[in-house]
Amino acid sequence: MTLSLSDRVGLWDAALAAMRVSFRGRGLREVQTPTRVEAPAIEPFIEPIAAPPGFLATSPELWMKRLRCHGGGDMFQIAPVFRQGEIGDLHREEFRLLEWYRDGDGIQAITDDVERIVGAVFEAARPWVQRPVQAPERWRRVRFLDWLRDVLGLTLLGNESAADLVEAVGAVQPSLCEGLVDWGTAQPPADVARLHAWTAFFSNVCDQHLDRWLAERAGQGEGVHLEAFPAPLCALARLDGQGLALRVESHVGGRELANGYVELRDDRVQRRRFETVNGLRMLVGSPRLPIDAEFLADLASPGLPPTVGCALGVDRLIMLAVGAETLDAVALAPAGVGGAL
Amino acid sequence: MDVSDLKKNAKVELDGHPYVVVDFQFVKPGKGQGLYKCKLKNMITGAVLDRTWRSGEKFDAANVESRKMQFLFANDEQFTFMDTETYDQLEVSADIIGDDRHFLLDNLDTDVLFYNDRAVGVSLPSHVVMEVTETEPGVKGDTATNTTKSATVQTGYQVQVPLFIKQGEKIKIDTRTGDYVERVND
Repeated sequence: MTLSLSDRVGLWDAALAAMRVSFRGRGLREVQTPTRVEAPAIEPFIEPIAAPPGFLATSPELWMKRLRCHGGGDMFQIAPVFRQGEIGDLHREEFRLLEWYRDGDGIQAITDDVERIVGAVFEAARPWVQRPVQAPERWRRVRFLDWLRDVLGLTLLGNESAADLVEAVGAVQPSLCEGLVDWGTAQPPADVARLHAWTAFFSNVCDQHLDRWLAERAGQGEGVHLEAFPAPLCALARLDGQGLALRVESHVGGRELANGYVELRDDRVQRRRFETVNGLRMLVGSPRLPIDAEFLADLASPGLPPTVGCALGVDRLIMLAVGAETLDAVALAPAGVGGAL
Repeated sequence: MDVSDLKKNAKVELDGHPYVVVDFQFVKPGKGQGLYKCKLKNMITGAVLDRTWRSGEKFDAANVESRKMQFLFANDEQFTFMDTETYDQLEVSADIIGDDRHFLLDNLDTDVLFYNDRAVGVSLPSHVVMEVTETEPGVKGDTATNTTKSATVQTGYQVQVPLFIKQGEKIKIDTRTGDYVERVND
């Protein structure tokens, strides 16, 4: 499919306007926060690009939460973010995240927002649709551990140690164990090992099963909210009463589109989580990242009000809304730095 | 080499054999590990296999050497190249050339790839200009559904072109995708 440049400009204009209208209608205010930051949010498998003396932001999260600590209220942003090495049909090193934070303490508000935004953008993109699109007609909520049990026959508690996870998974489907215990000669601390094993397990599950299942749901007109993740899979989310992370992943057209959380507010827990993630990073040979001390200080005082937040891939949503299969098909400029139009 | 260097056409060594990446997909859940899913073709036997690397892993690049040669002519089974300095001729079997045969014009300067002194393929320039030897005249009308038509170029390759392209005209083709790029005016 080929949209002319003028078409793509019109499409982005309409989609961005629809997002803004949707959030303003709910009382969220639009903010702009720094793109060059001193310390990025620390994730096991997201690599920031250096921009001395700091980094290009991989997400506007830390700054937006800091604004909320200081009375910024409910807010949204359409932010340029940068992730090194993420290059493919559905990935660009530089892309746009629609990210929002609002008062709340439950995932429901987030999933309502996602459904509304997706609907609004699909509607706004209609003049540019070139082939049948898989707009979600309804949404299914699925708890990750329940899905593992019902679809893969794998019963897990969600807090298994690395060794226990390998044993439990290996008994049912050895192929899901690839890369789980890949530490070379290192003997990592238990929490780091567990984080590594669960993350590798999740990547395998996505690649071998979940992506296909999500595509089937999309074919039946269903968007999917995948929730209640095992704690070892979520560095920045609060846990519920059962030790599962208050996190939701929303999928449209079989593609991961948004990640939402009930946000962690305890600065000491947050610091420990950052340190565990840094431990995992070093285990897999990625550089240790600086911890954002100002962010932790703001969490401690004045503190973050009860907050739910979400990040949604703008480029991907626009791609899905017109039935395209690659980000390049709807992009206004080539991926990478420079390049001919 | 780091797996982040993997892409289509990368040369990889597996078990002492040279492979070229013919298909490549980067897959990554937002918070998860990236997977580099490759379809690899053995440059000598032509056998194809799938291999998935995880981010952070390393792979061995195949030591493939490139020599500048000129393509002379071909028959059904062999493609003949000439070293422009020594005038030595080299025959490479059609199996090795594969689909690149569509873009080999007589006297085209190209790179022939060698692995352990054995020819394993060619490295084409990113674009070639070829003459359209056969195409229907473009029919204006149903432009909503028919914006392109089929054309045959001098190597026998068939490509989709815009309706305004006429027989005898020259067109530029992207050798990596096989797609029409633009008309070339002499």
